[in-house]
Amino acid sequence: MREQWTEIGMGLVVLILAAAFLIYSLSVGDFGSKPGGYDVIARFGQVGALAPGAPVSIAGVKVGTVSRITLDPKTYFAVARLSLDPSVKLPADSTAKVTSDSLLGGAHVAIAPGAAIDNLKAGGEIENTQGAVDLFGLIGQFIRPQAPAPPAAAATSPAPAPPTTY
Amino acid sequence: MTQASLATPAALNLVRLLGRLAIGAIRPVGALALFALRGVSALFSPPWFPRQLLRQVSSIGFFSLPVVGLTAAFTGAALALNIYSGGGRFNAEQVMPQIVALGITRELGPVLAALMLAGRVSAAIAAEIGAMRTTEQIDALRTLSTDPFRYLIAPRLAAAVMTLPLLTVVADTIGVAGGWLIGVRLLHFNPTAYIRSTADFLQPWDVGSGLIKSAVFGFIVALMGCHHGYNASGGAHGVGRAATQAVVSSAILIFAADYLLTTLFSHP
Repeated sequence: MREQWTEIGMGLVVLILAAAFLIYSLSVGDFGSKPGGYDVIARFGQVGALAPGAPVSIAGVKVGTVSRITLDPKTYFAVARLSLDPSVKLPADSTAKVTSDSLLGGAHVAIAPGAAIDNLKAGGEIENTQGAVDLFGLIGQFIRPQAPAPPAAAATSPAPAPPTTY
Repeated sequence: MTQASLATPAALNLVRLLGRLAIGAIRPVGALALFALRGVSALFSPPWFPRQLLRQVSSIGFFSLPVVGLTAAFTGAALALNIYSGGGRFNAEQVMPQIVALGITRELGPVLAALMLAGRVSAAIAAEIGAMRTTEQIDALRTLSTDPFRYLIAPRLAAAVMTLPLLTVVADTIGVAGGWLIGVRLLHFNPTAYIRSTADFLQPWDVGSGLIKSAVFGFIVALMGCHHGYNASGGAHGVGRAATQAVVSSAILIFAADYLLTTLFSHP
């Protein structure tokens, strides 16, 4: 019976440790801070590696997430729906830009606030946008500058083969 | 074809052998399925034995906490170190918290908790029921008009299916905590940033799929213990063999089910 009591004690210790860590992480990780965000949309010519769930940041501070990305069937622009923290009011002439997190991939939307007096409303659109920069297209242009300058949409064509001679 | 086999008895023997092997392979599967069916159907009709269920929940669930917690803590810590040094080869040390969290919640938490349970619980169930079988206690139960499936097997199945997901929650938490401890103490991660990046990265489905897996694993562990114990024969030796078979077969089935469930879950 005594052995059983030590086992019960050990079990309780494990449970308490797990609960303590869980409570610590719940208090530190900001859960549930954005229950009622508002949505704005932004149209990009090229979203690159941007995916739903990617963060939206202003000055490097996360203020929301990309909730969905669709294609506008008329203009062939990518329409990103951004869900923003309600405490963040954006001037109507803000700029949204798709930036990569690192060279390894992953992308987020960086917003540069504008100077207009009126703010964007829920469902509004960020007019000034800058799509993802196609790094490999740029490298291709750099390697073969004499080739006819590919249009900005060269992203869709396969990367040019490396030249055999320099 | 028939003429040829009639003409050569050697070929006929070969066919016989093949048939015997096939039947020998299929029969245990059918027996196990029938056993599982009887056990599950005993769960859904009275009489129930709530005291038995409570006892099994505490012995399968609560008393497995220390071993599951310890395993999870060390695994999380080792995983953190390995991913940190491996990620360093392409300058991706900073994604270590996310990979540790993903690895623990989707794969290692459920599987390690289930394997620990296979070692601790499956063997104990097989030995207990096997001893009851060889000392004819199960037959005694039946003469007292108590269905052994209701009294012995159904409570164990239900207890394992209920408690292994709970154990997995504990294992997930402690596994991430182990990685966090190493990350903060040894690798100089910011403690708050570590938790935040883990919390931002984890999707509810990462944890949920692990919990579904662990419920299936719990069923496997209890079923294997009960099945091998119930069909034990031949005294003390038979009980030992039943315990071994229960552990081995539940471990193999856990890994196989893990792969199958993962393929199922990885197609959203």
